[in-house]
Amino acid sequence: MLKGWKLKEIVLMSLFGVVFGIVYLLFLHIGNLWAGVIGPLAYEWMFGIWFIVSIISMYIIRKPGAALLPETLAAAIEVMLGNAVGPRLILSGIIQGLGAEAAFALTRYRHFQLGILMTAGAGAGVFSFIYGYFLSGYAALDPSFVALMFTLRVLSGAIIAGVGGKYIADSLLATGSLRGYAIAKAEKGDARA
Amino acid sequence: MRRLLHEMNPSMKFLAVTGCILALAFFFNPWTPLLFFSGVVLLQVLFSQTNWKLWSLAMLPFLIGAFGYFWTTLVFGQPGEGPVLWTIGTISITAQQWELAWSLSLRVLAFSSISLLFAFTTKPVHFIQSLMQQWKLSPKLAFSVLISYQFLPVFKTEFEQLQQAHRIRGTGAGSSPLKRLTALRRLLIPMLAGAVRKAERAAFAMEARAFTGEARSHYAEIKIGPKDYVLFCLFSLVLTLSCSAIFWA
Repeated sequence: MLKGWKLKEIVLMSLFGVVFGIVYLLFLHIGNLWAGVIGPLAYEWMFGIWFIVSIISMYIIRKPGAALLPETLAAAIEVMLGNAVGPRLILSGIIQGLGAEAAFALTRYRHFQLGILMTAGAGAGVFSFIYGYFLSGYAALDPSFVALMFTLRVLSGAIIAGVGGKYIADSLLATGSLRGYAIAKAEKGDARA
Repeated sequence: MRRLLHEMNPSMKFLAVTGCILALAFFFNPWTPLLFFSGVVLLQVLFSQTNWKLWSLAMLPFLIGAFGYFWTTLVFGQPGEGPVLWTIGTISITAQQWELAWSLSLRVLAFSSISLLFAFTTKPVHFIQSLMQQWKLSPKLAFSVLISYQFLPVFKTEFEQLQQAHRIRGTGAGSSPLKRLTALRRLLIPMLAGAVRKAERAAFAMEARAFTGEARSHYAEIKIGPKDYVLFCLFSLVLTLSCSAIFWA
């Protein structure tokens, strides 16, 4: 998977994993406190936060694996920092990353417009929901409640991860530090066209 | 004896922990997760040196989360069959639902107990080294992760500096949670820009030292020995015993 990656792209992706690992952990604690009060529904509307690194990294690096790997890494970093969800978080990271990766793979890693990014965020939501359905026993809940959870999660993935991810990556591009990565080259290409 | 879990091969431990969690997801009775939880805590008491005060502190948020699951299952769960235990307003709770609520919330505790066992007995660097040696994780990726991990304290100081810089200019976070959240966005962009520059520098340094990611020998060798298999069997035993609860409960 890493063939054709430059070393600096791999290190960048790992660093994104670390930064967002910390951000994710922060929100995990917030979410946990919420969840005690309003139950599992508390997580759903903010679930997109946990997909965002896939979108940002893929939007910048634009190579196969750039969505799956940083999401997995961010989860691994969360585990290494010693949170109590533990190793199964890595598994959910892989699954969320695969969801986002699938959307990009469908376009053969050629298009990175807002619509595709939002689809990727929603894809991560769908994949993670299927996994959560199995692991947390949502089957035991009322179907209409489960449907509400699903809609909230997919919307959150599309909006927070898709729109938010593009926004963060674009502001990062504006700082000029992304010269030398695929995103800056594509931007130039657009200007010429 | 008291160091056994700390010395267990991290890859094997990871396999055991994930295997247990996936298997537990198939059980919907309260006894299996309860037994599993007790078994895991027993293992940790016997074979590890754990700071139990810290452990309880880490467990606390999950206790709250488990409570959330408990009451949502009672209120939003599918009304099962069986005798109605009691009725509150329009909600009547059946025996089946009651059992299910216990099962789902105990499951949260069972999952977090085994996850905490992993977190409390594994050194991050060993985990990555073991992944590289046992599971053939690409060294390019593994070393990038290790480097990024070493940057953590740097990020922390940078974060504090940025916060202070904002405060000096009079755009500090403020006290309300909403203001803090928007302030986080203003901190994130410079943090990420810094990360991009660090990544570039680290990659240059690695390439300058002829790191190309080809096959390499390891200074710290992490092996799988007989005691890893014994511990793996112990985990399986705990899992089997707690799963057998469906036959007698």
